[in-house]
Amino acid sequence: MIKNTTNQTISSQEVEKEPSRFLHLSQQGLLYLALIVILVIYTIPGLGVLLTSFKTDTEISMEGLWNLPHALRFDNYVNAWTSGDVAIYTRNSFLVTIPATFCSILLGILAGYVFSKLAFKGSEYVFIFVIAGLFFPPQIILIPLFQLFNKIGLYDTIWPMIIVHTAFGLPICTLIMRNYFSAIPIAIREAAIIDGANEAQILTRIMLPVSLPAVAVLATLQFTWIWNDFLYPIIFTRSVQARTIMVGLISLQGQYSVAWGEQGAMAVIASIPTLLVFVFFQRYFIQGLTLGAVKG
Amino acid sequence: MKKLVWQLLTLTIALAFVLSACGPAATPEAPAAPAATAAPAQPTAVPPTAAPTAVPATAAPTAVPQTTVNITHYFSDSLGKKWISQLTDGFGAANPQFKVADNTTGHEDFKTQILVMLAGNNPPDIFSYWAGARTQFVVDANRLMPLDDWWTANKMDDVIPASLKPLATYNGKIYAVPMNAHIVGFFYNPKAMAKAGITTMPTTWTDFLAMCDKLKAAGIAPFALGSKNQWPAQYWFDYLVSRTAGPDYRTQLMLGKAAYTDPQVGKALETWKMLIDKGYFYKNANAYDWTDAADQVAKGDAAMTLMGTWITGYWDGKGLKAGTDYEFMPFPSIDPAIPMVVHGSIDAWTIPADTHNKDGALALLAWFLKPESQAVWAKGQGALAANKNTDPSIYNPVMKEAADYLAKTNFLSGYDLSTTPPMAVGGLNMFALMMNDPSKYQDYMKQTEDVAKQVFKK
Amino acid sequence: MVKQRNMWAIIFLFFPLAIYTVFVIMPLLSSFYYSFTDWNGFNPNFSWVGFDNYLKITTDPTFLNAIKNTSIWMAAAIIVPSGFGLMIALILQRKIWGANFFKSLFYLPICLSLAVIGQVWIWIYHPDLGLLNLTLNFLHLSFLTDAWLSDPNTALFAVIVAWCWQQIGLAMVIFLSGLTSIPQELIEAAEIDGANYWQSLWRVIIPLLSPATVVVIALAIINSLKSFDVVYIMTKGGPFHSSDTLAMMMYNESFQKYYIGYGSAVSVVLFLIAMIVIAFYFRQVRELEHLYD
Repeated sequence: MIKNTTNQTISSQEVEKEPSRFLHLSQQGLLYLALIVILVIYTIPGLGVLLTSFKTDTEISMEGLWNLPHALRFDNYVNAWTSGDVAIYTRNSFLVTIPATFCSILLGILAGYVFSKLAFKGSEYVFIFVIAGLFFPPQIILIPLFQLFNKIGLYDTIWPMIIVHTAFGLPICTLIMRNYFSAIPIAIREAAIIDGANEAQILTRIMLPVSLPAVAVLATLQFTWIWNDFLYPIIFTRSVQARTIMVGLISLQGQYSVAWGEQGAMAVIASIPTLLVFVFFQRYFIQGLTLGAVKG
Repeated sequence: MKKLVWQLLTLTIALAFVLSACGPAATPEAPAAPAATAAPAQPTAVPPTAAPTAVPATAAPTAVPQTTVNITHYFSDSLGKKWISQLTDGFGAANPQFKVADNTTGHEDFKTQILVMLAGNNPPDIFSYWAGARTQFVVDANRLMPLDDWWTANKMDDVIPASLKPLATYNGKIYAVPMNAHIVGFFYNPKAMAKAGITTMPTTWTDFLAMCDKLKAAGIAPFALGSKNQWPAQYWFDYLVSRTAGPDYRTQLMLGKAAYTDPQVGKALETWKMLIDKGYFYKNANAYDWTDAADQVAKGDAAMTLMGTWITGYWDGKGLKAGTDYEFMPFPSIDPAIPMVVHGSIDAWTIPADTHNKDGALALLAWFLKPESQAVWAKGQGALAANKNTDPSIYNPVMKEAADYLAKTNFLSGYDLSTTPPMAVGGLNMFALMMNDPSKYQDYMKQTEDVAKQVFKK
Repeated sequence: MVKQRNMWAIIFLFFPLAIYTVFVIMPLLSSFYYSFTDWNGFNPNFSWVGFDNYLKITTDPTFLNAIKNTSIWMAAAIIVPSGFGLMIALILQRKIWGANFFKSLFYLPICLSLAVIGQVWIWIYHPDLGLLNLTLNFLHLSFLTDAWLSDPNTALFAVIVAWCWQQIGLAMVIFLSGLTSIPQELIEAAEIDGANYWQSLWRVIIPLLSPATVVVIALAIINSLKSFDVVYIMTKGGPFHSSDTLAMMMYNESFQKYYIGYGSAVSVVLFLIAMIVIAFYFRQVRELEHLYD
């Protein structure tokens, strides 16, 4: 993508105040061209979703997906929003996703900090043990989990989703936080200990502020994953009052037919919160504090 | 330091306490629990949107103690949901002591959901299920409630056609009550037929093959088939076996008492291979969904498709007209000595042995089987009503033909509902293989028999 | 000092491990138990069959086939999304006009529900009306067209492409965050030393990105071993098991055939394989980390 031509730019330009490199206009043009080509190919399936949401199911089945819709209709959006209980579903999605995201990251920070900075004898085995939980296809433990939640009376509430997502999010949060903490020089911690700080203080006052980019990444990813999950809410709930938006979306698939248009519209609606979360958090993990600042 | 450990422990206990305290409030098992067994997080009781109901809601629901009837079903597409909720709303209005809580999910997820619920000992009070081997599977596990008393009390013998009663009966008792039937036959495009110069539809096998040749010569593929999800191909096997080897043999095969290596199966597959080799099938059947095949027929690229009556619902939704845009024809006889049967599927209601609300479930069941409910349901779903006293004027001309054909023909379920689930997986794989490369059909017979040996522990 | 450290380690690990044990490990143990039975899920009466299910695995051709497919999947998962993700992250990390907009676009696939995305990919691969074949015909490359999802030779790859497409945004996000932690002075120093872009990429950026790379690759391994949703929506493992993955097979055995016992045994084996792979991987990672300490 960035051919040798850029080299001269990089070495000849003075890069002092702006951390980015300046490119000549022509080179910048090339970069944009490449980016746009990738983007066009890359966004086609996404555009496909958008196309379905504006078409009637008849149009799709008779002409295929890839023609422009005959008219710009918002019927599917109106139907998706008004039919059923989308408002309750959306509320539940937030009620599940926000606490589960928060808790899994919190626990991941604690565990990740131990595995990177408070390693004890055999801690890597505990670490592998925690990571290993990621590998089970979740379907296989649905029955035991259902029995468990049924027994403790949490069936058909939003709690099972919060708990399970916290527990299943733990491995990835631990992994990412451990890796991020590992990159922070030990010297910082030692200096703080000499100053009389305890581990909780070190974690909250020194390590965490530096790790905001990692936390922001995790918040984005966890939010997305939990928001988009439909397996657990289908299994652990049965009433509208406890179900999430993804269940609403999956429920549009019938025995003999699928309401593609409405499903597409609902998918677009349902993707808005995750996209907003991404937009909100990305400045933290993209322009966030750099380690260099700490090191200096 | 130690203090912190203690604080953490206390916190855990507190958390556990809070969690368990949340529990009982939300347990749906409480026998006379108030209607809203909702998420404890936010008890905003949003009433179900009042849909137009057949019965005016006059009763004041506050006077009677209300119990919830939890229903789970797989009629999850927009039409299915719409008509079920119309029926349950009507039921709720007429029976204020019951409140119906519908928890439908996507059709495919239903299988997982119902298994987990039964395995976890917290089933719904009533659920839809496929009559046949799948219901047998659950009956054999002693998870369903026998409904014989209810059947007699409600005089179901005067309601359900005798030909469907075997599908309600398992191990000598009634366990599943049919809600509707779908039958499988050829649905064809009369305009495409006319284009190939075909005006009368064949009833004999020779005429049928001649018709296929005519269609092919006119550049129209005789058969569309969308076997991407495998099951649509099974009806070819069903009909070829029951038309050449007879329904009794087919039943034996389904029960594991005959072998997939038998010459009877060989003959059916050979006939199938002949049809494929002659180029009667629209190419790449395994690449399409059944709706693709329906579209190919609607567009006139193919003349007909072997499919269930639910296809009329799909086509009606696309604005096609029964009688002018599509027509129905039964699968023709191959050997005149063999009695005709019709294949299809029955959607039924079953009640778990450990239902929490037996009275409510039975009352709802009776409500579903009323002629008025059946008319609403069958018309909305594009299905054949299970209640034979349902007003026949609800059917469009094509569905009327299908209903008449069902009334005079013996009914057998389709393959995946006739044989036990693990066997069905193996058989369906064979049918897809046939559509991919029929020349190796003898190998497929051996492979499938290997599966059968394992499944039926021969 | 060490004692105090361990004390803190216990405090910090208490909640994570407690929740993890109760809601992940305990259910896992019961499915471990089911793997020694012939339970069909419905029937409360089932019997202990010892190692029968495990013996069956060793002779089951669909299992070996699923292992093969999962390995292919894993290889693709490690190479493709991380490669593209890194490339895009490197481009978008520069302060170019509209970078934030582009980032959001690349992240969009993960935001959209897989149920819908899978369907759109089915329409891309559709033999008559699919975008891929339409494009090939338009370019006069009709001989390349195929019924992508129903051809046993292409189905697995078709599904993998769809999946990798969705995962690129994920890799990009992690690499972007990794790039921010690379001190800009280091890159600049390398450049002042006369290193060209590729040299600084290989010698400075990629080594310093290794914490992010570790995560991206670990995620790729994990997600490929669990790959289920997209297969389920697009092919259900077909045609003829050609796109079966281990997770898909586990699902088929448990929820289509109702062999919960056997399905559990498959997942136990999957778990063991995963443990070996991940232990091996982290051994490599640790060596790498020591190099850069």
